[in-house]
Amino acid sequence: MPAEEKTFQKELTIFEQHKREWVQSHPGDFVVIADETIAGFYQDYEAAFKAGLSKFGVQGTFLVKQVWAEEPVYLIH
Amino acid sequence: MKLPFTATSLFQQGPHLEILISATRVEVNEGRAIGLEFPEMSVRALVDTGASLTIINPQIAARCKLKQTGRQKINAVGGEAGEHPEYAASIFFPGSQLPSMDTIRVVACPIIRSPFFSCLIGRDILRNWLLKYDGRSGEVEILI
Repeated sequence: MPAEEKTFQKELTIFEQHKREWVQSHPGDFVVIADETIAGFYQDYEAAFKAGLSKFGVQGTFLVKQVWAEEPVYLIH
Repeated sequence: MKLPFTATSLFQQGPHLEILISATRVEVNEGRAIGLEFPEMSVRALVDTGASLTIINPQIAARCKLKQTGRQKINAVGGEAGEHPEYAASIFFPGSQLPSMDTIRVVACPIIRSPFFSCLIGRDILRNWLLKYDGRSGEVEILI
């Protein structure tokens, strides 16, 4: 598997495990996950990113992902 | 902000402007304190109402040391949906009154159809602007 595809594999697994529950409790919010730590939910990307930086540091790695029931596919025309 | 085009140049190139891209301000400031450098890059960006999100060439993400925060599914015209890395960035509009965007997500995806540009300004940024486009005269104005 290419390295790029492995990025955030653990965090995305956590997301998938909780997605059904989070779609009910935090629809549209942005969740921050680092490794197996769920760091919180935020109303927008900027707040989530800044919270991630604050918790995990400038050199830390964390996933910021919006809670959707269906993953959107963005179009570039 | 008025963009200087003629009717012909606007037709041929599309509405575009020079922007500055860098890591977010918090990263730049905190990184500097521990000896990390985050370069900024000046790039030519196309205002693209057909792009849902703002797209950058992958080389920019690497050069500016942008922090990856996820992956996004992107479907380009004529192609299949693919996953591309998503990064946090700051975008500045030098020489204009347009407010900078301190933390915005951008997706790194090769802009093959427009090698003239390194960035597509998508509707995630355009949602903050009023864009006036007069193809007859070449006048383009961005208002906030």
